Amino acid sequence: MKDAVRIQEEDFSQDEEITALKTSSQRMGGIATFLGCARDFSEGREVSRISFEAYGSMALSEMKQLRLDAIEKFKLLDARIVHRICTVTAGDNIVFIAAGAEHRAPALEACRYMIDELKERVPIWKKEITPEGDAWVSPHP
Amino acid sequence: MINVLFFGPVVERTGSAALKIEFMPGMTLQILRDELAEKYPRAFEIVSLAAVNGQHVRDFSIPLIDNSEVTFMAKFSGG
Repeated sequence: MKDAVRIQEEDFSQDEEITALKTSSQRMGGIATFLGCARDFSEGREVSRISFEAYGSMALSEMKQLRLDAIEKFKLLDARIVHRICTVTAGDNIVFIAAGAEHRAPALEACRYMIDELKERVPIWKKEITPEGDAWVSPHP
Repeated sequence: MINVLFFGPVVERTGSAALKIEFMPGMTLQILRDELAEKYPRAFEIVSLAAVNGQHVRDFSIPLIDNSEVTFMAKFSGG
């Protein structure tokens, strides 16, 4: 089985990730997921591609700690985080987060917590490639 | 030596992804930051985060140890 926390170039399968999550416990009554994908428009401009760069070792370590923090904080049964580092085009998958708990409330809250914290804690940067030129993205909510 | 790394938007402004800076006894993260900010002022306009050996550091008064890996980073935009 693939690691629960990964940084990879290639696309991921949501079905495979959810199946892996479910195998960790049969007490899981609620699974919440977040899928981040690439848009073709941002800040009033067309976006052709999005390129990601990471401080790989720290990003992976922070993502692993973030998963553990979420499991502890929300009493999750399991959680998974996968982020792609590559160049993507509109509609492509970027990040997948899944939280499994006995009930829906902690699963939903944990999923929101993990994507919000990922944006604050994990050293990954994205550059938008547009017909007018390239620009690193400033973070926004 | 202190190994300094830059990523993403910061590299565009330093022109280099890695530097080696001579370690000096008593050197703190703040001293290193100030030295580099003088050399790369445009890069440090967007630097708001730092890590030492892959760990977030918010207190820049911490002393550095020889052979540390120090990263000065712009705000993250993953996800």
